Amino acid sequence: MRCAIDTGGTFTDLALEHEGEVRIFKTSTTPEDPIRGILEVLALAAQGLGMERAELLSKIEMLIHGTTRATNAVLTGNTAKTALITTMGHRDVLLLREGGRGRAFDWSVEYTDAYIPRALTYEAPERIDAQGRVLRELDEPATIAILDEIAACEVEAVAVCLLWSIVNPAHEQRIGELLAERLPGVPYTLSHALNPTLREYRRASSTAIDASLKPLMTRYLSNLEQALTDAGFGGELLVISTAGGLMHAREAAKVPITSINSGPAMAPVAGRHFAAADPGAQHAIVADTGGTSYDVSVVRDGRIPMTRETWLGEPLTGHITGFPAVDVKSIGAGGGSIAWIDDGGLLHVGPQSAGADPGPACYGRGGERPTVTDACLTLGYLDAERFLGGAMKLDEGRARAAIDRDVARPLGLDTHEAASAILALATEHMVQAITEITVDAGIDPRGAVLIGGGGAAGLNSGGIMRRLGARALVIPETGAVLSAVGALMADLSADFSAACFTSSEHFDGERVDAVLDELRERCRAFATQVGAQSHRVELIAEARLARQVWQIDVPLRAERFAGDEGAMQILLEDFRRLHEEIFAVLDEHSAVEIVALRTRVVCPLDSTSEGRLTQAAQELEAQRDAFFPGHGLLPTSVRSLDTIDQGTAIAGPAIVESPLTTVVVEPGSSAERRPGIGLLVTLENTLEQEGGRADAGTVNG
Amino acid sequence: MQAPSTAESPVHAGQRSFDPVALAVITSRIQGIVRRMTNTLFRTARSSVLNTARDFSCAVVTREHEMLATAESLPIHVMAGPDLVSASLARLHPELHAGDAFLHNSPYHGNSHAGDHCLLVPIVSAGEHHFTAVVKAHMADIGNSMPTTLWANARDVYNEGALIFPGVKVQRDYQDIPDIIEMCRTRIRVPDVWYADYIGMVGAARIGERELLALGEDLGWDTLHAYTGAWFDYSEEMMAAAIRKMPAGRSVAQNKHDPLPVAGAEDGVPVKVTVDVDPENARVRIDLRENPDCMPCGINLTEATSRTAAMIGVFNSLPTTVPQNAGSFRRLDVLIRENCIAGIPVHPASCSTATTGVADRVANATQRAIAELADGFGMAETGTLTASVADISGKDPRHADSPFVNLIIIGLTCGAGHARGDGWLVSGEVGDGGLMMRDSTEVDELLYPIVVWADEIVADSGGPGRHRGAPACYVEYGPADTEIEAMWSTDGYVHAALGARGGYPGAPARQFLRRADGSVEPLPGWGEQLLKPGETVLATSAAGAGYGRPWERALERVERDVADGWVSPEQAEEAYGVVIRDGELDAEATAARRAELAAQSPEPPEILEVEHRSREISDRLGPYVLGTVPPQ
Repeated sequence: MRCAIDTGGTFTDLALEHEGEVRIFKTSTTPEDPIRGILEVLALAAQGLGMERAELLSKIEMLIHGTTRATNAVLTGNTAKTALITTMGHRDVLLLREGGRGRAFDWSVEYTDAYIPRALTYEAPERIDAQGRVLRELDEPATIAILDEIAACEVEAVAVCLLWSIVNPAHEQRIGELLAERLPGVPYTLSHALNPTLREYRRASSTAIDASLKPLMTRYLSNLEQALTDAGFGGELLVISTAGGLMHAREAAKVPITSINSGPAMAPVAGRHFAAADPGAQHAIVADTGGTSYDVSVVRDGRIPMTRETWLGEPLTGHITGFPAVDVKSIGAGGGSIAWIDDGGLLHVGPQSAGADPGPACYGRGGERPTVTDACLTLGYLDAERFLGGAMKLDEGRARAAIDRDVARPLGLDTHEAASAILALATEHMVQAITEITVDAGIDPRGAVLIGGGGAAGLNSGGIMRRLGARALVIPETGAVLSAVGALMADLSADFSAACFTSSEHFDGERVDAVLDELRERCRAFATQVGAQSHRVELIAEARLARQVWQIDVPLRAERFAGDEGAMQILLEDFRRLHEEIFAVLDEHSAVEIVALRTRVVCPLDSTSEGRLTQAAQELEAQRDAFFPGHGLLPTSVRSLDTIDQGTAIAGPAIVESPLTTVVVEPGSSAERRPGIGLLVTLENTLEQEGGRADAGTVNG
Repeated sequence: MQAPSTAESPVHAGQRSFDPVALAVITSRIQGIVRRMTNTLFRTARSSVLNTARDFSCAVVTREHEMLATAESLPIHVMAGPDLVSASLARLHPELHAGDAFLHNSPYHGNSHAGDHCLLVPIVSAGEHHFTAVVKAHMADIGNSMPTTLWANARDVYNEGALIFPGVKVQRDYQDIPDIIEMCRTRIRVPDVWYADYIGMVGAARIGERELLALGEDLGWDTLHAYTGAWFDYSEEMMAAAIRKMPAGRSVAQNKHDPLPVAGAEDGVPVKVTVDVDPENARVRIDLRENPDCMPCGINLTEATSRTAAMIGVFNSLPTTVPQNAGSFRRLDVLIRENCIAGIPVHPASCSTATTGVADRVANATQRAIAELADGFGMAETGTLTASVADISGKDPRHADSPFVNLIIIGLTCGAGHARGDGWLVSGEVGDGGLMMRDSTEVDELLYPIVVWADEIVADSGGPGRHRGAPACYVEYGPADTEIEAMWSTDGYVHAALGARGGYPGAPARQFLRRADGSVEPLPGWGEQLLKPGETVLATSAAGAGYGRPWERALERVERDVADGWVSPEQAEEAYGVVIRDGELDAEATAARRAELAAQSPEPPEILEVEHRSREISDRLGPYVLGTVPPQ
């Protein structure tokens, strides 16, 4: 039996796969002690299966965990006391960052402190240049003096990031040896080993974040393993990685930066599976709607694009992880987003959120301001009696009153129009987030299928599909716990990268092959270590035009390059096609440079889950009035997902409910239930217009 | 690619004036288009001034030449300028066709300065011109007589020497016009890099064109034009609401640009700004007419930067955030005159540094004037551009001595204390609004044969105040195995950023040359220097000034500044009245010292002289930079 538990900010989700069936459970997260929430959701699952928790745990062979523990620790500053060692003269690398900010003239925001304060930053007398030559030898006596000073400060972790260590790591390695001698037992991270990427700020930031999480995540994962063992678990504990793979918990504790944003990294893995419902779609857009955030990712021709630009906090002014991660764009939009009117009479939705507490006005917990959830209730999309499977009663009067007061009256609209405007604007924000991650990367949403995950996805994903012109919308039956379900489908994997500079003008096929061999060897070692039956290796080149400084990921089609002119030509063609696709232009005369090579080793787990959801059927009212823009209030049939026969199309307007989701089928669209998938919603004739674009890569630094 | 359809988008729902939801939705879509334009040039450009420092801007202008959307653009590039170049284009090219693109950098036809090349693409659908997509980029080189794009000492436009394009067609039917490209290639240094950057600009503008055409087809051009009117009205109302919250009155502020070797500028160039805030009628008037006539040097402002600098000062002082477009600008009256250093230049006056220098002085005086009207408003003065932003050129021995030229942008720290908080640390000057990015040491060293030895903030240099100015940045760089020519035009060497409401000035800029023999000698505020192997430039930027009296600064902020090395215990006691001994706050002594300061209420010093702090860094790094660390 396999089980995935994703601890999110609000909910702890569990998905369990047993004999081809999937069961899903949800409980509140317990932020002060997340392990308690994990044990609670396991108890809930055991109850649902009619057994004791210990019995359930004893049957689980593999438990996969995603957690916001690391992310929260960074955002709240609850990480280890960490020292940073930089190159002499560059102590402010974490403070100065790369500059820039979101908006000019918004002086209500303050500059964010450096991730590690200046007082704990030390400068190693050493210098290596861009060619890897040693300009100044590492001054060992001075370095030892620094380490003794660090030891005296009782730091709990040390990050080392020197200029150009990616080209010549000798000085970082030597400092690592000295650290092991002088500060035994204090964990440290060396930048070239963790994240060999150009640009000192982002490398220093990844290194600092990683080191600062080591004590915490080591403790957390070992406590979790102990707590699970005590509760009867005897299987393997795996942790979801930010790159969209799985790692053994003990390995993950050594590279804790990989657990940042790890939950959302699984959404596209699940999305890739559900996209099969529309075989004509070239790409999938995967959206996960939470209470306070909306996460979007894409699956591009079956591949999940990566980024090195994940920020904790605001882009440019927060802290960058700089670490290869599944490209997930997250915006502050969800059921809790507050609607308000500004001085000029313009409607806004968010970025303020009512969160879970006090929550939307209709929760009746003291929230006064109208939210997207209040709008959905007012429009008749949500059932006041059956919210979250009946766990909470909603107060429609409070929702209407808040919308009337804050939106309808100021704009001279009636309540339904105002509620509809709130939802339309929230939808637009979500559409913009999707546009940025698709159109910016050369993906045409019209060739894509939209996967709507998260409990609230069904309320407006039809509108998002319509606005994007996407081919179809899939609301997975397990979409309420999309990341946890994705984790059940994921493979063991690891990513390795190495700098490898060569140019199309003087292409060094031997060197490329040598680096690829070394990376493949690391992949094989990983596969052996995890005891994989089989494994496959994906190869990627990070390439750019000469003198550019930002790379594009180009999947390699050839295995070897030495003495094979054709292999290089294919690589060049692939690069040029991608460049033109993403940026609309190409400087054809320019040489192409390869900067780094990356590999991902994937070790498939024996039983990839494709199980379908099992859940109890429910009785529902047959009809209620719901408001649709352009139509007004329409009598709308309400169906339970379980009572819909496969292959029967349901024409909108209709509402389809299951215990954890509500799907609004707008007039002019229709829904069909697909086995093992969920609901497939389409506009009239959409799937007859075939289209799509060729494969493309992603942009990173 | 076409934008997806919106069969039932709320745009078509109500048309009382303009559907407020559609207003928000279309705004979001147009901002998205400008962001996509920006992303394209940032990712594809070759010069670090564009691909790392992001010294460029993208914008959309209406067919009536009104600024519509700017996204993450630098304020000094776009508030006024794109509107003026669009209007001048219409005069020179009455007929605009799909597939056209125009090159524009003329300071006499609405551009910011010759160093910013604008690429203008008219958005033409079915023969009708609807909008203009504008990409404005600070080029690594423009073919000046000297290898710099910011040259305060240029006598006139002839001496400056750039090719001037007053809106010249450079593409027809989406293809380059070869003779224009060849003109550039024969005049601009390192033509291949220029051309590659130009291609990136074309890409950005064409992406804007493609997306705007799709938007127009999707919504209908009439709807889109109705939208722009409604968006301007809305923005104007937001601006009016903000001005109504401001204090009424007239305020005059003066400051000085640093001296130049030009008659009348030996002691510096005085700048005077008169601001009238009229909350009742919700208008702000900024009068720049009482400034000197154009001078025979490169500091004269263009019409675009004169207007923009004044507007920046106002926007920095608004109590709420207001969209920046032609609508909100309607509430501002900027009074300028011809032949004035802060007005409309008369050919052949040189405007080489028109986006910095005097522009910074005008914006700074404007926001400081507003600060002096009432507590809780305005901003102190931001530091100005220094030698850590320099044009470097030479030959790269790593690439068969191929030539290079570029503007390096390091050490940008200069934000001013303001009504709501401390100075924003990373900012190049008041005109970038904190949006400009800075170089990465590794990217600079990868692209150019230089070594950046140091890049760190300088203790005590930020102007003390209730809200402290950002500290200066100490930068040290030099050539790697070769010679390089460095040119810079510093302002802020003599006349530092001035504090507001009792805040202290920021520390002035300082720069030195470290010789290979270890000797250190001062460098002038403006100049050019051939750097030989082993030599380095030491540049300390001009820090931001403080807002409000320093002894009123929150205690815990002073303590934090001291603990983290931003402020020394000496300055904490002297200026802030906070006594910290051995890392511990002495509460009693602090109370006494603060009472004493409050009673005396000393005037801010004329100069915040903390050169010794830069020297401490320089002395500490010296043996390391010179490679003479004795074996231990």
